[in-house]
Amino acid sequence: MGPDSAPGPAVPWQKILWERQPFPDNYVDQRFLEELRRNEGIRQYRYWAMVKEAGLVGQQLSCVAIFITLWLYMEQSLLSPETLLWTSLLCALLGYGLYQALSSPAEPGCEPRTRLADLQSATIFLSFTFGFSPVLKTLTESVSTDTVYAMSALMLLAHLVSFPYAQPFPPGSLSLNAALFASVCLASRLPGALHTFAMLSCALLVFALWPCLLHRIKENASSQFAGVCVGVCIGGVVGLGSQWLGGAVLLALALGSVTLLCPLLLIRLQRHKDNIHGPWDEAEIQEDLGRFLHHQTG
Amino acid sequence: MVLKVFFPQCCNRADSGLLVGRWIPGHDSAVVLAVIHYPFIPGQVKQYIQQMQAQSQVELSVLGSWSLPKEGQESMESFLRDLSTIFPKGRWLQISRQMGKMGFTCHIVNRDQSKICTEEEEERVIFVHYDQRKVMLSQLHPAQSGIHEPQSDAPSELRQMFQTVAHSEPLFFLDRYDDGPLKSTHWQSEGREASIIVELLKQASVPLCLLVSWLLSVWTWICNLCVYPVRFLSTKLSTCIQLSYRTEHMTTLSSPNPAATHTHFMRKANILVSFMVDVALGMLLISWLYRDNRITVVANTLVPAADHVAKELDKLLQWLMGAPAGLKMNRALDQVLGRFFLYHIHLWISYIHLMSPFIERILWYGGLSACLGLTFALSLLSDMVALLTFHIYCFYVYGARLYCLKIYGLSSLWRLFRGKKWNVLRQRVDSCSYDLDQLFIGTLLFTILLFLLPTTALYYLVFTLLRLVVVLFQGILHLSVDFINSFPLFAMGLRICRPYRLAGTHYHMDTTVCLSV
Repeated sequence: MGPDSAPGPAVPWQKILWERQPFPDNYVDQRFLEELRRNEGIRQYRYWAMVKEAGLVGQQLSCVAIFITLWLYMEQSLLSPETLLWTSLLCALLGYGLYQALSSPAEPGCEPRTRLADLQSATIFLSFTFGFSPVLKTLTESVSTDTVYAMSALMLLAHLVSFPYAQPFPPGSLSLNAALFASVCLASRLPGALHTFAMLSCALLVFALWPCLLHRIKENASSQFAGVCVGVCIGGVVGLGSQWLGGAVLLALALGSVTLLCPLLLIRLQRHKDNIHGPWDEAEIQEDLGRFLHHQTG
Repeated sequence: MVLKVFFPQCCNRADSGLLVGRWIPGHDSAVVLAVIHYPFIPGQVKQYIQQMQAQSQVELSVLGSWSLPKEGQESMESFLRDLSTIFPKGRWLQISRQMGKMGFTCHIVNRDQSKICTEEEEERVIFVHYDQRKVMLSQLHPAQSGIHEPQSDAPSELRQMFQTVAHSEPLFFLDRYDDGPLKSTHWQSEGREASIIVELLKQASVPLCLLVSWLLSVWTWICNLCVYPVRFLSTKLSTCIQLSYRTEHMTTLSSPNPAATHTHFMRKANILVSFMVDVALGMLLISWLYRDNRITVVANTLVPAADHVAKELDKLLQWLMGAPAGLKMNRALDQVLGRFFLYHIHLWISYIHLMSPFIERILWYGGLSACLGLTFALSLLSDMVALLTFHIYCFYVYGARLYCLKIYGLSSLWRLFRGKKWNVLRQRVDSCSYDLDQLFIGTLLFTILLFLLPTTALYYLVFTLLRLVVVLFQGILHLSVDFINSFPLFAMGLRICRPYRLAGTHYHMDTTVCLSV
């Protein structure tokens, strides 16, 4: 006699183990499937909102492309380090102004950084980079160029994979370090110490400071966020296209698939989601149990 | 009823006389200790035996008679039988031997019963020949000094026999060469001259020991005066270590009280023999070294040898400064390190050349230390090698320090690279959110250290190998010094020549062989 068909005795079945009942151990009654729940807590995504979120990924990809473009220009001496430095300085000042302008009114409990601390950080960056640039220049001299390229590619990939897209503001250690490592490797292939210095400052701007600014923009001026992302993406594709057409096409395809195709795919696949919950799930400890215990002891 | 007679081998050829020994109580056996020769006055014999008994606490008695008639002498059968009446005792042994025949004949005269049974008992006597010297010295059943263990109320026959022989030492002072009224034969009768020399040496060693211990006390007083830097230096120089080791040995040797246990005695003897061998070898070395101007030859080859080593090192550094084995080294750091080490070699060579006029004299005086033993000469050689290869040691220390710093920095920066840090309080790796500038500088340093690591590692490896060669050489020297110092030569000799002396002892070799790096 199967467990599901239950003519049985007149005694009603109870879902307890501490009493002897005239049912087999694996018996369940008709009410079993009444507690079945499907797709609990499912979120209904909207396409354009998702595209906007995916824009962050796309713009990070473009940032890497922009950095590589700049390095290509520098390596072929099409871009002088002075120009890059001045442009970086200008961008940094503009970005700092924007950052200060977009600062949220007042966050209770969190002391905002003073101007002096920012200046101190900037001094540290510049002095260390400037001091170390001759050392960095000769660092990979004896390592073959292929090894350096492979290492940089690997590190940039690691940067893209480990970038904290959900919470970009306190910069993820591994992603930032990988990006800096890659930029040191690439910068050491450039012809002069000043080139190295300019490249590293640029890397600092692109990989460390730009995500902070972008985060601020997303939080406080979310209407402009999409525009900024599109701008960065277009900049990356155009920049790469001026040096390497095939790369630009690949980048455009990647951006398109990440920002447009992937959200579409997600929404299409969401329809097929069939997640069931029920009394067979593992027990979850409720939060109030802890409070209950505290109450008991206290 | 079987009678056992323990008969000393040394008395096999003794002249006829009385057998002195002991009946072992509780067993049917007799131990013969010595033979007292004719002519004697019975009263004196009795008196002598009583005297011996008082001294040795062993119940000595006259066991019977011994006859080994020489050619031309008629047998003294009847006289010997009459002797038994002079020395009244329960049993009387009459042991006789014919010159040129192997066997012994034994008659037992029982005084309590008649003489009838003598013929029957004749076959039931077992002769046990024992070597008195071996029984005396082998300590198989060591004589407890005065303290009798309560549980051993009935000691075995063999044990009693051993103890009887061991206790009756005063008996063996009398000799057949003595002028006194009595003459006897036992194991001490042979080789009397040697025992005289041994006695004399024993007497002479007492003032010698006193002198040595006085000298040692003066020496230790001087040693205790030493101030800190000297003391620190003395723990580093192997000559000083050897000196203190020898001092300790001499203190053990010159202690006025004699060795208490057999092990203690063996240790002292080992020390003495190894010291003698050491000094003898040292003298050999001196006699070789100070002939034919060999010192000058050695001194003249030493400086070119040091030059040669320096040249080889120079070549090695030049090779390292190129592209050694096709390795990818950082050129700038390579050049810096190479020049630094080259300068160091240059300094060292100029120092050696400054020293070169004095080297011969130093060697001459250093060679004199071999008077104190070969070990001193070897220790001095080890020290000199250490001093002459000081540059290699310096290289090793620099290389190791640099490498250690680099590895330490890399390991902590690798944690920063992953966004972790070492929590000192909990002794584990925690995650940590760093500031932007910390991350930036950390990564910069990490990259630099990572790319410079192969260069430092190579220098470290090469200099460690060099240092290892020197340490190996010094290790061999120290090993041989320790071997001479602590090899139990006396025990080995005893094992080969007189193994019975080691029969009853568990001898622990305490050798300390240390290879200091």
